[in-house]
Amino acid sequence: MPLHITDYSDEILHNISFRLEAGSHLCILGANGAGKTTLAKVLCGLIDTKAVTIDGKLLHDLHGTARAKVVNYIPAKLEIFDTHMSVEELLALSHFDTALHIGDALERLQIAHLQEHPCRTLSSGESQLVLTASALLHNARYTLFDEPTANLDPMRMRTLFALLSDEHVLKSKIVITHNLELAFKLGFDILYLEEGRIRFYGSAERFFAQSQLDALYHGSVKNLGDHVVVSL
Amino acid sequence: MKTLFLLASLLLLVAAPFFGQIDLSLTKLMQPQSMAHQVFMQIRLPRVLLAFLVGGILSLGGLVFQVVFRNPMSTPYTLGVASGATLFTAIAIIAGLGAYSPLFAFVGAMMTVLILFAVASRFGGYDPTALLLVGIALGFFYAAALMVMYALSTLQESYEILRFTMGSLDIVGFGQIGILAAAAALLLLMMRYYKNAFKALLVSYEFAFLQGIRVKKLSYTLLFGVSVAVGAAVSLTGPIGFVGLIIPHMLATLYRQSAEKLLMPSFFYGGVFLVLCDLIARSLADATLPIGVVTSFVGAPFFIYLLLRGRK
Repeated sequence: MPLHITDYSDEILHNISFRLEAGSHLCILGANGAGKTTLAKVLCGLIDTKAVTIDGKLLHDLHGTARAKVVNYIPAKLEIFDTHMSVEELLALSHFDTALHIGDALERLQIAHLQEHPCRTLSSGESQLVLTASALLHNARYTLFDEPTANLDPMRMRTLFALLSDEHVLKSKIVITHNLELAFKLGFDILYLEEGRIRFYGSAERFFAQSQLDALYHGSVKNLGDHVVVSL
Repeated sequence: MKTLFLLASLLLLVAAPFFGQIDLSLTKLMQPQSMAHQVFMQIRLPRVLLAFLVGGILSLGGLVFQVVFRNPMSTPYTLGVASGATLFTAIAIIAGLGAYSPLFAFVGAMMTVLILFAVASRFGGYDPTALLLVGIALGFFYAAALMVMYALSTLQESYEILRFTMGSLDIVGFGQIGILAAAAALLLLMMRYYKNAFKALLVSYEFAFLQGIRVKKLSYTLLFGVSVAVGAAVSLTGPIGFVGLIIPHMLATLYRQSAEKLLMPSFFYGGVFLVLCDLIARSLADATLPIGVVTSFVGAPFFIYLLLRGRK
């Protein structure tokens, strides 16, 4: 079931069209304010539109569990109104994949000790990992991660990288990031946004070619072969 | 602490009907023909039941409104339900239809809700802030209309209207208790039915949406259900203030648990609070104090104390 967006425009985004095959993954890159988060919200239905179809069906027409099973979005920050809720209670709300236990999902992210904690005590990094655990339990066909590594320490970042790069974890992953090294190592196809338009859509190999990087980043990003670095 | 509150509350509920301006002796109470028995069964018991049900509805309604609006200051009256009821009561009194004023009040409350949702249905998405603002605007409109009613009324009528706005548990009969019991039961059943969806709403609108919940439909359903129950309560007792604000906040401080676990406690302790306030109203003065006065007199200082303690 491919994800398809056709000629979508709004205040921020312009003429967005692309197609993502079922089971394939994507990294969305772009400068601050390029429209990455807006695009993610369009793709998951938080911004209502008739431009998105999944498996030929309009996302707009899907409701309830049917929609929840198709697409999920993990925001950069955990926003929670009632912070007395415990991590376990929070995770239970998105527990669609009953084959996976809440404890196992937390274990996978090495935060099993947080299970009983109220959400108000979580640090920003911990909340990000809790959100990632919720993505595993939700297990939608398409999961969008918005800056999943933004608040993580180097050790946690490796944990998260291992998870995102595991073929058996989640069906289709769409990762929004500023972390070029992460995008490089994941090797997913790249969609690069510039001022609300798609500037590049293609393989990681083509994207990380030095000539392509120079065209987009004006010399501030170097491909060293097995690493990509930002030259300051 | 929690157990202590529960025991004290249960004790209060059992003891409340035995206290009041007329002392009731226990031996006389057992004789069905005695005055004491009549007072107990016809006045005291229905009054305590009425206070409990109204308090419960207002408190639970407050909790639901605070969650749906993401605003700790919302009360079950935020959408103008009470102002609508008051205006229509005034109209009934001035038109010489005072006997039907509860019916008028209920029509006023429901009309307000319908106007509000008619306006809200024209919003594109779900916009609680806009809904809140429409409710506030409507409140001002009603207040102005009420002033017109005062200007048109005689002194006697003005007094009657004023008494309604202070809230009163005086008019009691088992018929009214039946209506409120039904309203309370519907409200509790609704919250039971939507418990999981409500829980997702406690995280964020976006989160709830992604879990497949129709946030707009759910929010409107909850607001509507609460407004109907509150409308029924207000039309019988007048707009008794503060219960819907103080009790949910008090319980959040006391329990430190997420709001979906506070649904039943909110109802229960809201009821207990109003029974207590009514007991004070009946016992303190020679003439019974208006209940709305007592809820605010007792509630406000305690509320401020709790807020200060919670900040430490």
